[in-house]
Amino acid sequence: MSEGTVSAGTGRRFEDVEVGEALVPVEYPLTVYRLVMAAGSNRDFNSIHHNSEYARSTGAPEMYANTSFLMSGWERCVRDWMGPVGTIRSIRGFRMKSFNVVGSTMRVLAEVKGTRVEDGVGVVEVAIRSENSSGVSVGPGVVELTLPRREGVPA
Amino acid sequence: MTAATTDTRWQEEWQPVIDAVGRDFDEGAVTWGADPVERGAIRRYLEPLEFDCALHTDPEVARAAGFADVTMPYTGVIGWTLPAMWQPGEQLFGTHDRDAQPVRSAINNQDMPLGPRTTGFFGTDIDVDFLRPVVAGERIGRRGKRLLSCTPKETGVGRGAFLKWESDVVTEAGEVVGRIRIGTYAYVPKGQS
Repeated sequence: MSEGTVSAGTGRRFEDVEVGEALVPVEYPLTVYRLVMAAGSNRDFNSIHHNSEYARSTGAPEMYANTSFLMSGWERCVRDWMGPVGTIRSIRGFRMKSFNVVGSTMRVLAEVKGTRVEDGVGVVEVAIRSENSSGVSVGPGVVELTLPRREGVPA
Repeated sequence: MTAATTDTRWQEEWQPVIDAVGRDFDEGAVTWGADPVERGAIRRYLEPLEFDCALHTDPEVARAAGFADVTMPYTGVIGWTLPAMWQPGEQLFGTHDRDAQPVRSAINNQDMPLGPRTTGFFGTDIDVDFLRPVVAGERIGRRGKRLLSCTPKETGVGRGAFLKWESDVVTEAGEVVGRIRIGTYAYVPKGQS
């Protein structure tokens, strides 16, 4: 699928986007069960992500969510909002500032930071972050994505 | 000041790594993911995320969108470029300890030929560019492992260094489908130095 060429399918169109628009937050209770499923599926088997005793031996307060899971939470938040017609170009500023430990709840929060048309393609910058009870735990970063334009809209 | 805070010898142990900034530790070689991207593996990836997008689960929807099959979630670029944990003929665990670690793992600092030996390791940050979606049936890997920076630092969990690495994400056909820069912290946990 080429950027900006989709004319069919469900999902958001570039012309529908407003700067400042908030995306629907995604909430993840970080249970042992979820973290074990995440490790098994994204293959980050580092024991810090599924073994409390081992995690504490490395200086962490508890076992904590792994990088793939955290970054995928950002992707899900963006995908829920843009639908299948959007494409993701980049993720910037994905910085893990504190541990997202088991037993806590992580929320992914995002809003539209900017829009532009680039070579006829609708480009959207989404400011995004993860928070837990201690504040921002990942980010804030930016996901740059593209959305199809409505037919008949001049490039 | 205490002796502990004035001891800088541990930082000097990282100097060979600092001197190697700019070096491609894989010399352009590709580290392939253990398996091609597969529908079932994508489904399992989505489960703990409760991630509902038909592009990843419904081949008909994916084909209607112009893809040959369902697509890998973009962020799967980490997991699907990890090599196999075990190969036939190898032994994965060398001890019977409850918390025994595998003899070899791609997710640590074991393969680092320079600098001090570390046992603690975690990711700190990632920047990634996606040039196109990856489709089920394709196999991807990371080409090259260029060290961009090395910053020794003592943190709340121990003494070590922040390292930043850069790789291209490629298909078996040699197409670059992404570029990834991964930050890690490799360290000796407090009390283990």
